[in-house]
Order: sequence, then C-alpha cells, then structure tokens
Amino acid sequence: MSKTRFLILLLASLGSWSAARAQDVVLVANKGVQISEITNADLRAIFIGTRTRFADGSHAVPVILKGGPVHEVFLKSHVGESPEEFRSEWRKLVFTGQGAMPKVFDSESALIEYVSATPGAVGYVSRISSQDRVKVIAAVK
Amino acid sequence: MHLLSRHLLLFLSICSCCVCSCTGTLYAQDSAGIAVHGFVSQGFLFSSTNNYLSMKSSDGSLQWTDGAVTISDSLGDNLHVGIQLHMYQLGEFGGSNLQVDWASGDYRVNDHFGIRAGKVKTVWGLFNDSQDIDAVFLWILLPQGSYPIDHKSFYLAHVGGDVYGALFLGKRAGTLHYDGYAGQATVDLNDGYIRQFADLGLVFTNSLGGKTYGGDLRWETPVKGLDIGASGNVQAVDGTAPTGSIHVPPTFTPSMYAKFSRGKVYLAAEYDREPINATITIGSTTFPFVADGRSWFAMGSYRLSKKFQAGSYYSHYVDKAADTTQPANYSKDWVLSGRYDFNQYFYAKLEGHFLHGTALGYYTSTNPNGLAPDSKMLAAKIGFTF
Repeated sequence: MSKTRFLILLLASLGSWSAARAQDVVLVANKGVQISEITNADLRAIFIGTRTRFADGSHAVPVILKGGPVHEVFLKSHVGESPEEFRSEWRKLVFTGQGAMPKVFDSESALIEYVSATPGAVGYVSRISSQDRVKVIAAVK
Repeated sequence: MHLLSRHLLLFLSICSCCVCSCTGTLYAQDSAGIAVHGFVSQGFLFSSTNNYLSMKSSDGSLQWTDGAVTISDSLGDNLHVGIQLHMYQLGEFGGSNLQVDWASGDYRVNDHFGIRAGKVKTVWGLFNDSQDIDAVFLWILLPQGSYPIDHKSFYLAHVGGDVYGALFLGKRAGTLHYDGYAGQATVDLNDGYIRQFADLGLVFTNSLGGKTYGGDLRWETPVKGLDIGASGNVQAVDGTAPTGSIHVPPTFTPSMYAKFSRGKVYLAAEYDREPINATITIGSTTFPFVADGRSWFAMGSYRLSKKFQAGSYYSHYVDKAADTTQPANYSKDWVLSGRYDFNQYFYAKLEGHFLHGTALGYYTSTNPNGLAPDSKMLAAKIGFTF
C-alpha cells in the first residue's frame, strides 16, 4: 500500500469516526402531538415509563430503535442511561408487571412510519426527509 | 452425571423453545398488541462445608433451575393486563408445579394515580418485587438477610390491590414515587418455611398465610441517579396442620434504602428489621417463637465494558432476640460477583461467597450431622432472557 493511499484511508476513517462522535438525534413525534418542545426531564420520564403523558396532558407512546449509535446517543444524552441499564430497567418493569416495554424498531424508516401512523407516538432518528409525515420536537433543558 | 444431564437438558430445551418463539427482536414478541417475554436460568452451587439451600452443594449441585414467561397486553391507553407463569427448582423446593408469580389488571388514571389489582408483586425495599428476575441483576444470590431465596414465594406477591403513582416536585426537588397495598399473602407448600415447620413437627398439608398491607415511598432526588426510600409491611400468618397450628399476629416489617446509579457505577444499601412473635401449638403443647431479625447490606458494582460487570457486597443478618455470639443466630456474607453478557439474550455469572454463621439457608434434611460455623461457596449461572 502506498503512503498516499494509506493517508487517504486514515483520513477517511478519522472523518467517519468524528461524524459518529458528533452524531445527534432528531426527536420525532406524531403530527397530532400538540407540543413543539419537551424538557429532558419529561423526555426521560416518558422513556423510562414514569410518565405516560406529555406536558399538555395528551397520551405519549414512546418507541425506540433496537440498537446502533443513534440509540446510544439518544439514551446517553436524553435519558442518562447506557443501553444496558435501559434494557435492564425495562425488563424489571415488564417482569414485575409494572409496565409494557416500548415498541422496538430495526430501522429508522420503520420507526418513522409507525410514529406517523400512531397518535401520541414519540421517537428519535438520525435525520428526516421532507417526505416524512412526522413532527420534529425540540428537547430543552 | 445423570442429574447434571437432566438439568442441562431441561435448561437447553427451554432455551430452544424461547429461541424458536423469538422472531429476532430482543424486546418483545408482539402479536396484535400482545407482548411475550421470558427468562430461564440454570445455576450451579458448590460449598466447602455444609449443604446450602437444601441442595447437596458440598458435592456440587445443579438443582437450581428457573424459568418464567410473561404475557401482557394494553387494552387502551390506560389499561394494561398481564400474567407471569413461573417454574423453579431450588434444591428440594419448587418442583414441577407452575406458579402464577403475578396476574393483574393495571389501570393508570394519570401519572399521579393508578390502581393495580389481582395477584400483584409486593413493593418493599430495593429488590423485593424483582428478586426472582435473575436476568436484571449482577448478583446470583441477593443479600440473603433481606431477600432469602428459599422464602421468596411468600414475600414476592399478594392477592389484593395496589394504588401507586408519582408526584413531580419540580426540577430542584425530584420525584416522589408511592405504592400502597392491601391483600392476602400465602406461604406456598413448596417454600422453605414449610420445611422448617416440618423440622419442628408441624407438617402442613394446606398452605398458610394471612392479611398483609403496607407501602413504599421512593424519592428520586434531584441528584442524578440517587434514590432514597422507605417501605413498611404488616403481615399476619395463620395455619393449621394435622399435628398443630401456628399463629403470627400482624407484625410490622420496616425497610430503609438508598441507591446511586450513574454511568458505570452502581451503589446501594438497605436496612431491614423483621420481628417475629409467633405462637406454635404442637399436640397439646403451646410455646412461643420469638425472633428479632436485623439485616443490612451494602453493595457496589462497576461496568468494566459493555459485556462485563463486576461487583461486591456485604450482607449482615443477626437475630437480636437470641444469643448473637452463636453462629446459629447470625449470617455474615462477603460476596464477589462477575457477569458477562454474550449478547442481549445470553449471559453468564460467577460468584464467590465467604459465609460466616448458619442462621440462614440451612436445613436439617441436608445437614443431618450438624453445621460448621463457616463456609465458602462458589455459585455459577447461565441465563437467557428475551
């Protein structure tokens, strides 16, 4: 391998690493959801099962991705837990009869499709396109 | 070898069934809104002296199999129904009979108030309602002074109702979670208490139990990851056997606890008290049975990687109503644990116990020649959950 090709590969890998590190999430909700922003505390409470309603009193239906960097970033920055802790806490609720686990999706497109069709649904993806029939909500401190 | 093969075969069969029923999604098998979850685990216990938890552990024992399946459904935004069926073998306890761990309807009026009714898991202390869910813990055995595994079927649930909810106190004050309950708790005929009564000459052929009520208050403090709480339970027990009876008047059992969990660090501590003032009648003789169990534990763990977690705890139990210098009246356990998650479904655990005292977990039937005051134990478990 020539030094130039090695340098290009190194730079490319560094670029993708920093892109993954900097990746943030877009909070998406069903278009019927009235709120346009949500506090991180409320978001955490909804995703760990403590709250079942948004601040305006409407019913919230949290949905999650099965795994991946977006899932990890969302849990770390908005829920304050690792995927392992999150999974363990939900298993505890399910096996004690105190809660039903959020619906899980293998892909962002499937999650968006579900959110667009389900009243009160709220989830997260890496990006949305103009065709997506969902609402973007902002997380505030 | 025959016993080993039988237990491994049972464990692998249950795993195969779970894997076959699993469609590849970890969190839930969802068919028309119905969610199915489950767990199964196989344990091994070896002790340097004494036989623990009715297993022949000094020879190494595999008589420790657990499995459960949970089926639940949401009927509208506020109503949730479900059932958990559980089967276990722990030495001479449990067996082939299927138990209902819980079966309840849960109506959450709003986030501040909900009602749960049916057979409901009893919220008490840090772990009472989750003590049977091996998959969520690093530990193989929870601190036995507070959560004795040979009596879990009695403490785990009550038939009755709960009210529960959360009060959101604001950003600077955190959240207060509450749970209050009343109902009936029953000692299962396959529970360790039944064996202990039998050793006294009281052989119960019908299950015994009594009214119970209590509550739990847990403050999720504004300090991220810090929860502080207190629980109280009042329990009465009455039972009649062909040779006699037992009467335990309503007795208050308090618990205080704290938990801190942030990032890779987990710390927890709890103090419990369980006084007993029972009257036992065998034939024409009536005598009192008095105990004052005080237990506490402190535990800590650290997640070294996504797959590996290690930790340690110290569990302390002493019967203050008896001579506390005698090993039969105390149990002090130093524990070291490690857990490795192969993936989101399968895990393995290894745990060492340095146990002093014989107050908890020992039975005459498996220790006919008496007990040594100290014992070292090695426990191992493999498990599967979905």
